[in-house]
Amino acid sequence: MLALPRSSRRAGGLIGWLNNAHVRAILYQVLTAAAIVLLGWYLVHNTVANLDARGMSVGFGFLDASAGFGISFTLIPYQEGDTYSRVFLVGIANTLLVAIISIILATVLGLIIGLARLSDNWLIRTLSRTYIEILRNTPLLLQIIAWFFGVFNLLPRPRDSLSWLDVFALNNRGFYMPAPLPGPGFEFVIAAFVLAVAFAVGLKRWAHRRQDATGQIFPALPVGFAAIVFVPLAVFWVLGAPLAWEMPELRGFNYQGGLSVPPSFCALVVALSVYTSCFIAENVRSGIQSVSKGQHEAAASLNLKPSWTMRLIILPQALRVIIPPTISQYLNVTKNSSLAIAIGFPDLVSVWMNTSLNQSGQAIPIVAMTMAFYCAASLTVSLIMNQYNRRVMLKER
Amino acid sequence: MSEPELVFRPKPARPAPAGTLGVIGWVRHNLFSSPANVLLTVLGAYAAYVVVSAVLDWAVFNAVWEADSRRECLDMVGRSGACWPGVAAWFWNLIYGLYPKDEVWRINLGFLVLVAWVVPLWLERVRSKVAIGLSAVLVYPFLASYFFLGGEKGLIWSLLIAFSLLTFVWVLATSVVERRTGRTLAETLLARVGAADADPAHQRRVLLWSALAALVVAYAVVWLWRLPETPTNDWGGLFLTLVISGIGITFSLPAGVLLALGRRCDLPVISVFCTVFIELFRSVPLITILFMFTTMLPLFLPVGVEVDLLVRAIVAVCLFASAYMAEIVRGGLQAIPRGQYEAAAAMGLGYWRSTALIIMPQALKIMIPTIVGQFIGLFKDTTLVSIIGLFDLLNMARAVGEDTRWLGLFIEPFFFVTLLYFVFCFAMSQYSISLERKLDTGHRR
Amino acid sequence: MEGETLDQAPAHVASAASQERIIEMAGVNKWFGQFHVLKDIDLTVRQRERIVICGPSGSGKSTLIRCINHLEQHQEGQIVVDGNELNADVRNIDAIRSEVGMVFQQFNLFPHLTVLENCTLAPIWVKKLPKAEAEDIAMGLLERVRIPEQAQKYPLQLSGGQQQRVAIARALCMRPKIMLFDEPTSALDPEMIKEVLDVMVELAREGMTMLVVTHEMGFARMVADRVIFMDQGEIVEQADPETFFNHPQYDRTKLFLSQILAH
Repeated sequence: MLALPRSSRRAGGLIGWLNNAHVRAILYQVLTAAAIVLLGWYLVHNTVANLDARGMSVGFGFLDASAGFGISFTLIPYQEGDTYSRVFLVGIANTLLVAIISIILATVLGLIIGLARLSDNWLIRTLSRTYIEILRNTPLLLQIIAWFFGVFNLLPRPRDSLSWLDVFALNNRGFYMPAPLPGPGFEFVIAAFVLAVAFAVGLKRWAHRRQDATGQIFPALPVGFAAIVFVPLAVFWVLGAPLAWEMPELRGFNYQGGLSVPPSFCALVVALSVYTSCFIAENVRSGIQSVSKGQHEAAASLNLKPSWTMRLIILPQALRVIIPPTISQYLNVTKNSSLAIAIGFPDLVSVWMNTSLNQSGQAIPIVAMTMAFYCAASLTVSLIMNQYNRRVMLKER
Repeated sequence: MSEPELVFRPKPARPAPAGTLGVIGWVRHNLFSSPANVLLTVLGAYAAYVVVSAVLDWAVFNAVWEADSRRECLDMVGRSGACWPGVAAWFWNLIYGLYPKDEVWRINLGFLVLVAWVVPLWLERVRSKVAIGLSAVLVYPFLASYFFLGGEKGLIWSLLIAFSLLTFVWVLATSVVERRTGRTLAETLLARVGAADADPAHQRRVLLWSALAALVVAYAVVWLWRLPETPTNDWGGLFLTLVISGIGITFSLPAGVLLALGRRCDLPVISVFCTVFIELFRSVPLITILFMFTTMLPLFLPVGVEVDLLVRAIVAVCLFASAYMAEIVRGGLQAIPRGQYEAAAAMGLGYWRSTALIIMPQALKIMIPTIVGQFIGLFKDTTLVSIIGLFDLLNMARAVGEDTRWLGLFIEPFFFVTLLYFVFCFAMSQYSISLERKLDTGHRR
Repeated sequence: MEGETLDQAPAHVASAASQERIIEMAGVNKWFGQFHVLKDIDLTVRQRERIVICGPSGSGKSTLIRCINHLEQHQEGQIVVDGNELNADVRNIDAIRSEVGMVFQQFNLFPHLTVLENCTLAPIWVKKLPKAEAEDIAMGLLERVRIPEQAQKYPLQLSGGQQQRVAIARALCMRPKIMLFDEPTSALDPEMIKEVLDVMVELAREGMTMLVVTHEMGFARMVADRVIFMDQGEIVEQADPETFFNHPQYDRTKLFLSQILAH
């Protein structure tokens, strides 16, 4: 006996109607939307009641009010009487400063450790693996606190500073370095630098065209690099060194003048870059290992020099594997810099979500603004990443 | 063939030339293969020697093992050696927080039960692994809350705890029976009461009644066995760290699965909502979520409702972990070949059944190493609750230096806690790596 | 029989081997760790000679040809390629590699470069040819391997047989005197094997010195001047194809041939 195919069943009555795929789809969505709206209404209702009970109002009006507290370290100018909106900007600037410096240091360190991980020297391999395993298997917050209380706070007093050539000084009040004071004519040095960079780019293009035409190879990279370094230096010297340095000087109990960063900044930057370098190192290692042995052999059988094999064959393939996870590590650095609050460095979360929130009581706008900043950062990064991935995707069938 | 046949006799293999093998060959090849490598080896060995000897001197050779206060330690060796008695005096608190000493056995029992619950997952010949694993995630938490919190419970809560207790007994019995006989507990039970050949309806009735009877017994146990209440304020140390990360990972598994399915589904309202939730929680730092929940949860709840600080932290950690888990699950689902979906559809299974029976089990299996990695991350991230004032392992270590007797003792408890974290995370990560290898070979056949 | 897959090729390519010796191996020994892979290998290859090396897996045949362009390093004995001795001197290794082309089992094309760029890379960077000239040469060779229309595609967009032909063209772009083939058809589907073998037959006809590690006995019959059988790191026997296939001397060779020709 043949059974009737399912689809020929008559959709009758309420049950049949509910079994219709379209009806179901709409029903599920309406139910979800209703649940979300109900939850949202419940939360809003409670919040309004709570705010009423505390006699508070919600709005962005407080942004123009004076914050009335000082911030121990600011990248952009800030005084105690400035507004809350200024505090927000100070926080963002400090967060970005920490993030950018840590990202640069972490990349350099990660590259070195990653290459050491691939060394043909067993000891170097083992040491770098130990470094990676120890650091990535302990919490970052613990590392930050350890660097702060265990290293930068235990440094000698300003009078007994660790100093290098009397130019840089490191003590328990922070890290001090000279501040550049450009004199008349310094703009020419900057102009020379810009010209040298333009020259180097042009040189690279010219070398490429010449190689296409004649086959001759010109070392554009080292020559261009030399131009970028030496041309501005020469101009600088010809003009009679129009740049003064404001040296940090020990006066009384502490150093005055120059540029300085507090110990909390040092601890945060060191901890973040050391911690992140482990992950970058692993990216570098897996990226380079992802290029198969056959690629090396093919390049060798074509008699390519090892340095060209690296530049033309290995790196272009390895970078596709290395860059995406490394960019997301950069995003992690930005997010992790929020741990600054544990050692009192005034980053966005610390000055805004903690101090400002506690003083103004404006929880909702403050939380919303903080989240908006981090969302914007991660959105930017994921846009960049999608662009990159689209560009370098290996063309397959 | 008429030609005289020659017999091929292979030459005996000679040993490799000296200097390419053995210790000398290894050393030459791995440490001194070129002048640059010789230099690197020497520098590396020196650096390793300096660091290791400094740490050993401080932590072992110059360390003080018996003293009554930090003053005494300083008088003996100054700062050149560690002062371990401070850590020893606080050891109990570092592990259990301020949990009443007489009640600590409940914590130990709770974790022992967990171990007994999950051990069958690694045993061969146990067939009900899926059920055991699911019950460990979904049912064990009730029993744990009963052990850890204690105090008076309402009827429904007590019933849940009783059910949890019963499930634990079932897990033990099932794994023992299946290992012994290779048959399920139900089959064995039916054979015992002589109903092995009875009709299915009768068998079902027998099983149902015996389960109900067992539940009544379990409820009686829970009702009779009252445990005094221990408020969460007293929770701390490693115990608190494990509770927060454990609840986080447990909650995030089912929540992450739902969010991932939601994000992938064709219904725009649901998929947009899930996507926004996942991306929002993944793009902001955990500390902002913790702050958000400590400051805003009281605003969101009806006027006058107070929420325990620990609960707020746990809610924050759970939502945070769910968003990350959702992305892991999504990655696992993407790794399942299309053919599996088509095969499931061809068998006439609906969406929910094909997901639950065909797709999810495969995806979860691929994801296990990543989930272990996620748990390591969460375990480390739990330190952030110290910023909002909970006394987890990290904050407990800081508290040691504020004790008047051990004032300023900072490095030693930190060293100890770091070691604890390291041992735990390193072991887990090695485990996940070995799992990954095993799965990898499993896939390639 | 494999021979039938190459039916339109001539029955046997006339031997063109000259008397000039181009590769000489004497007493070559190699170990992987404790494992003795090559035992006292003596082998002389004359210019334009076509040699097929066969043997069971693990017999050392791949290692043997990989020693010739120094992808593997031998530990004892002497290898001289066109008057250059293989030793630690980097200039000698350079000189040898510029005369030896190699084709791999797994193709080893550069996946991030187009087919044309794969072929022009080494001429541009090693031989320092102008780009246009390198591209002319490459297009000429791509035509010879019958895939000029794929020049702008990426390797992973091609079939296995096409990829292997690109790999042959890439090696030929360096104008080598000697070509090494390391199981060039083992990773290919049966219907693609022929297109690669056809290209190799043609190359043999033009008088290229070739060392081919393969199990394609039809190819060996048709093209080879000499067939070498290896087992356990030794050359068991070598002879012209006629003698090798019809009157093998050793029991081991007979066993191998009966296994490989059984189906």
